[in-house]
Amino acid sequence: VSAYRESVAAAVEEGWRFAGLHAAAGGSCVRTLLVRDAAVRLETVAVSDGLAPSLVDLIPAAGWDEREAHDLYRVGFAGHEPLRPLVDHDLDLAHWTVPVRGNDPYQIAVGPIHAGVIESGHFRFHVVGERILHVDARLFYKHRGLERAAEGKTLDDGIAFAARACAACAVTNSVAYAHACEDALGLVPRPELARVRTILLELERLWSHLNDIAAVCAGVGLAAGNNGFAALAERARRLNAALTGHRFLFGSVRVGGSALTFDETMTRGARAEIDAIHADSERMWHELLFNASFQDRLPGIGVVGVADAERLGALGPAARAAGLEEDVRAASSRLAYEGFRPVVPRRAAGDVQARLEQRALELLQTYALLDSLLARPVEPAVAEAGAREDAIGVGRVESPRGATSCIVERSGERIERLRLRTGSYANWPAVAFAAVDNLLPDFPLINKSFELCYACVDR
Amino acid sequence: MLTLLRDLRRIRRDIALDRPVRGRSLALRHVDAGSCNGCEHELTLVSSPYYDLQRFGLGVVASPRHADVLLVTGPVTTRMHAPLLVAYHAMPEPRRVAALGDCALGCNVLGTAENIVGSVEAVLPIDVRIPGCPPTPDAIAQALLELIDR
Repeated sequence: VSAYRESVAAAVEEGWRFAGLHAAAGGSCVRTLLVRDAAVRLETVAVSDGLAPSLVDLIPAAGWDEREAHDLYRVGFAGHEPLRPLVDHDLDLAHWTVPVRGNDPYQIAVGPIHAGVIESGHFRFHVVGERILHVDARLFYKHRGLERAAEGKTLDDGIAFAARACAACAVTNSVAYAHACEDALGLVPRPELARVRTILLELERLWSHLNDIAAVCAGVGLAAGNNGFAALAERARRLNAALTGHRFLFGSVRVGGSALTFDETMTRGARAEIDAIHADSERMWHELLFNASFQDRLPGIGVVGVADAERLGALGPAARAAGLEEDVRAASSRLAYEGFRPVVPRRAAGDVQARLEQRALELLQTYALLDSLLARPVEPAVAEAGAREDAIGVGRVESPRGATSCIVERSGERIERLRLRTGSYANWPAVAFAAVDNLLPDFPLINKSFELCYACVDR
Repeated sequence: MLTLLRDLRRIRRDIALDRPVRGRSLALRHVDAGSCNGCEHELTLVSSPYYDLQRFGLGVVASPRHADVLLVTGPVTTRMHAPLLVAYHAMPEPRRVAALGDCALGCNVLGTAENIVGSVEAVLPIDVRIPGCPPTPDAIAQALLELIDR
């Protein structure tokens, strides 16, 4: 019996939630990140004879993390059977797919190159006719070794590796990284720094959620809806460029402070444009609500119910659309989200319709947040010494796709190990689960209702 | 639905896009060889109402078999090297390759040597370079429109 497993099991009993697992540099030990509201804790176990105890029976959501630790750090997990490859692409089909038997099932291989402008990844559908029995997703075609490449870099330089993981989550990943570094360095953001970072995070959510609604319209084939919301996403990105000089807000976050200045003309202009986007998106949303042939495609498709969402470790809009009222923003002491309450749809069915509605509800929060956060000009700001220093720091930020956790293990000023577990990473198992029992032609729609990134999973 | 269509007409009128004068077309096939997804998000908006490149005969097609131009994003990862070559060899002649974004051009690439093969130029002959991190939809549109005239 392992003390590590016992203490993780006890923590789960006490309401702590799994938020990631990684092998430390060199694969000498395995650390599990647990969270409860704003509190975080790490449970560490030494790797002996190449083995660590597995948690997958206690926490199924740890499955991908353990497979990754095995493939990248050669750590075995006692009790994780079969330990299928995740990052490793060298093993043949039988090793990474789930055997499917029955009356005439066959496989359809899709990707890594897809038919539209889509990131690279491979899906193996096990189907009978058009009915999906099971999906094996094989990602990591875009694995660039970013975490490994960051090792040995200074904490200041390391932010580029977190940001480059994914353009769609660049701010989230950068802020999570900055928080992790500041946590390790004993620095606490001043309120002004918290405010500017919160503005950037909500600007990222703004274009991202508009993009996601456009994507669902595209998944249904409603070109007018797709074009309408894509035009709004374009306006949101132009607003980003007007405020920070970059459409994806690249380079706007750094460790220990912020150099951004938005004068009154800029904040006033930004609020006016956000107001205008709000009005137009509400009008277009109303059109979608009353478009029967569009709405007809959404309910009951790609269902991930509340129990499955919890078991699979789904996060963010996908989890909230199933009724899980979890949102890191409600417990973000390092950001300016005072009084924030997570929102869930009235009909939290965990299907495509609920996930779409979730985006629309969250956009309303984002419009309101940005309006109040931009009520006065933004000045350069810093984080100040105010907490205990540590060799390990943790950052947690709610991305447009769910909670992102960043862990930085340092040796002095340099990175020893960087781990970035994004909202997309947590949700991919839920996508595969959601597809089961649905028709193959609905998979693109199901996939778009999650609209996960591949880049920040693959890293 | 009518409101949506009216909105789109209004956007088009407000932006005052040029009328297309060209009578030719280019079919584009996109391959993500390991990007951060920034180039993909910008490339998607090239088809949105603000740019609407379809009116110039530029469209993204579903198969390299139908394509004139291979638009490649990202540094070429070890795992995307082979699929990229398969897509290229599936294209009919004459075919062109456009390296889209700084990573594809080998600029400021992050990652480890064992996971990255190199720039697009290291594995395919390239005809067009579209710099930027990521290039804006404007820059992408401009480069593609020049290509259509070549």
